[in-house]
Amino acid sequence: MAHEDRAFYDQLAERGVTRRGFLKFCGSVAAMLGLSETMAPTIAGAVEAAAGSKLYPAVWLNGGACTGCTESAAQSTYPDIAQIVLDILSLNYIETVMMATGEDADKALYQTAEANAGKFIMIYEGTVMTGLEGNTLRVAGKTGLQFIDEIAPKAAAVVAVGSCAVDGGWVKAAPNPAGGTGISMYLKEKGIATPVINLPTCPVNPEWIVAIVIDALLLGGIDENGKVTEGLVSKLDQFGRPSFIFGQTIHDNCPRRGHFENGEFVYQFGSPEEAKGYCLYPVGCKGPQTQTNCPIVRWNNQTSWCVESGAPCIGCGNFNWVDNGAPFLGRMRKIGIGSVGAQGGGWEPGVLGAIAGGAVVGALAVHGVGMKAAGRIGEGPATEPMKEYDAKRAKKGGGN
Amino acid sequence: MAENIVIDPVTRIEGHLRVECAVEGGVITDAWVSGGLYRGMETVLKGRQPADAFYVAQRICGVCPISHGHAATMSAESALNVTIPAGARLVRNLIEAGEFLHSHILWFYTLAALDYVDPAKALEADIAETYALAQAAGTSTANFGAVQAKVKALVEGGQLSIFTNGWLGHPGYAQDMPAELHLIAVAHYLEALEMQAEASRVIAIMGGKFPHFMTSVPGGTTWVPTEEKLDDVLFRLLRIRDWIKNTMIPDTLAIAPYYAGALEYGKGTGNFLAWGVFNSESMEMVDRYLPNGVIFSAQGLKVEDATPDKVLEYVEHSWYKSDSGLNPQEGKTQAVDTFPGYDVNAKYSWAKAPRYDGKAVEVGPLARMLVAYLRGVAPVKSIVDTALTALGAAGKPEVLVSLLGRVAARNLEAAVVADWAIEWVNELIAAAKEGGVEFYTPIEQNAGKGAGLWEAPRGALGHFMNVEGGLIANYQVVTPSTWDISPRDADGVRGAMEEALIGAPVLDVERPIEAARIARSFDP
Repeated sequence: MAHEDRAFYDQLAERGVTRRGFLKFCGSVAAMLGLSETMAPTIAGAVEAAAGSKLYPAVWLNGGACTGCTESAAQSTYPDIAQIVLDILSLNYIETVMMATGEDADKALYQTAEANAGKFIMIYEGTVMTGLEGNTLRVAGKTGLQFIDEIAPKAAAVVAVGSCAVDGGWVKAAPNPAGGTGISMYLKEKGIATPVINLPTCPVNPEWIVAIVIDALLLGGIDENGKVTEGLVSKLDQFGRPSFIFGQTIHDNCPRRGHFENGEFVYQFGSPEEAKGYCLYPVGCKGPQTQTNCPIVRWNNQTSWCVESGAPCIGCGNFNWVDNGAPFLGRMRKIGIGSVGAQGGGWEPGVLGAIAGGAVVGALAVHGVGMKAAGRIGEGPATEPMKEYDAKRAKKGGGN
Repeated sequence: MAENIVIDPVTRIEGHLRVECAVEGGVITDAWVSGGLYRGMETVLKGRQPADAFYVAQRICGVCPISHGHAATMSAESALNVTIPAGARLVRNLIEAGEFLHSHILWFYTLAALDYVDPAKALEADIAETYALAQAAGTSTANFGAVQAKVKALVEGGQLSIFTNGWLGHPGYAQDMPAELHLIAVAHYLEALEMQAEASRVIAIMGGKFPHFMTSVPGGTTWVPTEEKLDDVLFRLLRIRDWIKNTMIPDTLAIAPYYAGALEYGKGTGNFLAWGVFNSESMEMVDRYLPNGVIFSAQGLKVEDATPDKVLEYVEHSWYKSDSGLNPQEGKTQAVDTFPGYDVNAKYSWAKAPRYDGKAVEVGPLARMLVAYLRGVAPVKSIVDTALTALGAAGKPEVLVSLLGRVAARNLEAAVVADWAIEWVNELIAAAKEGGVEFYTPIEQNAGKGAGLWEAPRGALGHFMNVEGGLIANYQVVTPSTWDISPRDADGVRGAMEEALIGAPVLDVERPIEAARIARSFDP
């Protein structure tokens, strides 16, 4: 059992977090990490022990980012962002919130990488901007690429937060005017062997960052020499994504799944069917093609998530999500439940993950005449406005 | 002899910004502001469906995705000629309000406060005195002892985390501001992290999540309220409003007098533009809760209606090769073919230079509050007059045209928006009880041109969409930061932030905290 650190719980209490609430959270982290809930006290102990011990050095680089992933990290609840940056990580460089500015900020980055070579984590947010020899992103008189070239080789691991960092995100969508790509692809091309943990979706869900930080830093995923352990590697899929987070489809865990099975669908927003919370598949939901645990973890301290608010999933955690998902309100022609890549909403199968130094290459073969006319650009699975059968049902008022 | 100083990166903002200044005799005499990132949103959207702009375009900014999402949806609605029903109007106002509250709290405490508040100084505070001061200032208390201990442990532990290399002990902090007030602000800096997250939860209830939301579609919203969810929204909004009134506003008024010097500089162009935000029943820009308007203060504080027809964008000093001087409805955004380097005499920014009626203008809360004040919006008038009295400038709204005014306007706006949000949720609850309230109108048209003119927390925002054959033929965005961080235009006229830097004091050229303050006051 974890020892009870009164000061720690006093601090939590000041933030309105009860001991019970904190342990419940540790239970959900345990579940997310694929551990039994009986591991909750171990996790609680590890988080408690982190308070007051040496902080793990980390730097957070913003590439071609909207800052949404930093914002998202700031929405984390247990541990909250203050606890993460004051009790667990020594986050010495993060442009969006750090106190230092100008040259002193830049120095904080390089000093941290130098002083902790091989023993710090580099969190990377945003697209890797390769356009115009990297000048599509300029910081401190350097290109964004220079930062990666100089810092990434020294890091114990790179955590790619959000779809932009993972594969280029919307910036890479056709015709990719600014030359965007993902960090694992870029490192592979440059021959930089630092392992990458990929956390897609747009933005990243803060609970996933927390799960990774707890697993990698507090539960021994990175050893004392800064080496990523086999234990952590075994939890990643071939795309470098933690399989405990990205191993099931949205559709598998969707609370609206029962309506799908019953053939109860929403055909128009603002309709009585929508008010009843029917399945959003006909209005474009990409839940069957999208592998994340959003329905379980949800967002903003489990307040809600996309489908709960009546919005079809747009598959923001999928490879090349804009080109593969748009038109977002278009009904997917095939459902292909749960099959990674097979349907094309997901990822190219058989490609070695970033952790093994591989890059996601190639694109999906499914495309054809009429896609341009439908507002689909690039490659991906087909959508259609509505099936004839559904059109009849919609007129009848949908549902059963 | 002028000396050039560079702040790059300007941290604690969204995105990548460089500020270069010429300093002579401790005063800034010239300035160049450079945006560091080009991603090509406008090009990515071409050829896609109008409804898809909402999902992609909001990802321009992770701090203000709601505003971009709304402006994108509104541009489709304007192009395709549909008016959203009453329920959708209220839902959008509420989600937008959630973001304004989130963003303003985050800006003041997480981003800007460290320019005025020195955590090192907080270590000298006497705890009992701190409680007494908090009470005297009318601001809320916290466990000041624990906060001080936390800061102490951090400093003594030698691992400063996000405070690494910060300008702790900088002489530019108000030297007469008591250590106790520094400690109060540091305690609220930590508390604000929870309050900004609470405002995000308001968005998440109606928008699915934050950042980046899901429920705005051309024609309305996909979110259908239930009594339970509306209660949840109301409860959280009340909590946020009380915190703003009991903590954020008194903090602002307590700290402001120590930086009264900032009423004298950071004035900028004196030209202000607001498209307006938060629709009223009429859906007209001029009737918005924070209405549309433009002010050229050299001609006195007078407001005129603002129209997008008077906007032209220049690229002489930006890294684009497309034509200069275009109206955004027919605008183009094509990057140069080869990068020519950073040269303040030629091209030096990824931001374009938009001009209104040929003039560089400032956008943001100060613009909105001045426009609303001059248009006689009652709650704005009342809170601004109260603040002016507290600053010893009763009846002189023109003093707000300054660095301190820009900071104060944002915080005052948060209080006004919080009150309105509570009104709107009550309206929605009443409407839902009555029944018959609608949230979506289907779109029938498949061609047209239109603009979504709206406001992000940081200022006037325009999305411009041309639709042909059901697909986007052209898309252009003029963000608030494009206005504020604008480089020089074709005539060499400086942008709003560049102009605001001129005349500001610089105490220490190695650590130009005053310039950083001015840059951040725009919340770029």
